[in-house]
Amino acid sequence: MRSANRSDGRDGLPAFFWAAAPFVVLILLWQLVVELFDVSPLVFPSVPAVLRAGLDGLADGSLAAHVGASLLRVATGTALAVLVAVPLGMAMGTQRGIAAFFTPLLRFFSVLAGIAWIPIATLWFGYGFGAIVFVIFNAVFFVVTYNTVLGVSTIPIELRRAAASLGAARLAIVREVLLPGALPNIVTGIRTGLGFAWRGLIAAEMIATSTGLGYMLFLARDFYRTEVIVLGMILVGAIWLALDRLLLAPLERRTIERWGLVRPT
Amino acid sequence: MKELVVENLSKVYFDPRLGERVTALDGVSLRITPGEFVAVAGPSGCGKTTLLNLIAGFLEPTSGRILLDGREIDGPGPDRGVVFQSYALFPWKTVLENVAFGPRMRGLPRAECEARARRWLELVGLGHVANRYPRELSGGMQQRVGVVRALANEPEILLMDEPFAAVDAQTRMTLQEELARIFEERRPTIFFITHDVNEAVFLADRVLVLSKGRLREEIPVPIPRPRRWAALVENDSFKALVGRVLQAVRTA
Ligand SMILES: Nc1ncnc2c1ncn2[C@@H]1O[C@H](COP(=O)(O)OP(=O)(O)OP(=O)(O)O)[C@@H](O)[C@H]1O
Ligand SMILES: [Mg+2]
Repeated sequence: MRSANRSDGRDGLPAFFWAAAPFVVLILLWQLVVELFDVSPLVFPSVPAVLRAGLDGLADGSLAAHVGASLLRVATGTALAVLVAVPLGMAMGTQRGIAAFFTPLLRFFSVLAGIAWIPIATLWFGYGFGAIVFVIFNAVFFVVTYNTVLGVSTIPIELRRAAASLGAARLAIVREVLLPGALPNIVTGIRTGLGFAWRGLIAAEMIATSTGLGYMLFLARDFYRTEVIVLGMILVGAIWLALDRLLLAPLERRTIERWGLVRPT
Repeated sequence: MKELVVENLSKVYFDPRLGERVTALDGVSLRITPGEFVAVAGPSGCGKTTLLNLIAGFLEPTSGRILLDGREIDGPGPDRGVVFQSYALFPWKTVLENVAFGPRMRGLPRAECEARARRWLELVGLGHVANRYPRELSGGMQQRVGVVRALANEPEILLMDEPFAAVDAQTRMTLQEELARIFEERRPTIFFITHDVNEAVFLADRVLVLSKGRLREEIPVPIPRPRRWAALVENDSFKALVGRVLQAVRTA
């Protein structure tokens, strides 16, 4: 474990370089094609135009506002989903009856999770924060519930029995055994769910709001601002990569190391 | 005095794969008095684990009763400590937290739980690994923690299901001697399951032979304590008793 950490630090920079290199090539190629064929900015923007759009957005604060609005919605929807999904998953993982009742429902609704909820969400919550948070909630909720159930089922029965015969009551078993034992799966579920949520978010924001990254993309289309569209697309991808690589993946790895029933190799 | 009484206990499983009922225990009665070390020996599949799981409260009997101190047991409880073959230590807790778990569940103050856990760990020479995680320990050390975790909770009876079956032969003998020593010093009540006839005779005051769900024979072990392997391997009465139990297991 210790040696793995050391090599992490040493390999960090070259790994980043090798991951960034293909993008650099792509950007160079893009600029080359735009210049060579004299592509109209109405069809596709040049690299400097996108950079300028980014700098303008930073200067007038609109970029930060859009990104901030999107992140706040994702954070709220995810937090609410985890708060409901983990207790439900715990109950399903321990009570056969509850599992039997909810499993078919979850299976059905997990197909609908995502943008299929936008029409009804906008009817219920109106256009804006509530409707989009609801879509995010749906995207995260089912995956986290499923992974919580899975996590509980991987806990050896002996661990529950040991806790019970050491005097742990029902709630104490949940707190001391089921929750920590299922935590690696729960974190994996959150990571997967957030991936769905991020994609759903962009789609929902195109329809159901007047701020956020998705809205920025969609609005730019009406004004033929291809440089803003491409800037938005780059941000959607880049923010997710940063979120996943810098926050979620390390969190998942640490959880497995610290709480995992089996050691990661 | 808290006596364990098992009355006419039966357990029938339904095996969904075979689509038929399996009688794992068939009218077992026994009695364990406080401070007694009772071993159950028998071939694989004879119902040993089933018997222990029923006493622990992990399973419900099909018929019959289990009484501890005159009261029928109802589910698992801290009056019956269990040591598992798979150790069953909490992997996300340190060794100290594992041993302190029982006292903590009983609501004792944290400092006292830790002090008690530390005392027990030192008793088996594990004071120096108190802050390690179970996976960092060898199998033998993990099972020492398993035994001490159960003992630190001061149960009325200790239930052990083949606790030393997963460690190498050398370590097994050490663990057996340690358990014998703890028993000689503190006289806990122990119900010990094994398929190792030598182990049963070495440890127990009384060996019950179980076969096909029924108790076939009861063999007292009048070998004086303290018991140590060095003295017993060549001891004639030890060898004779092992032979007797082996005979009973094989013909049962
Ligand atoms: N959950 C179960 N469902 C169906 N049959 C079972 C179940 N558990 C045990 N059995 C059966 O009951 C019988 C007794 O099993 P048990 O585990 O008590 O034996 P054992 O003496 O502990 O064996 P071993 O020495 O292999 O551990 C066996 O025939 C076994 O196949
Ligand atoms: Mg068994």
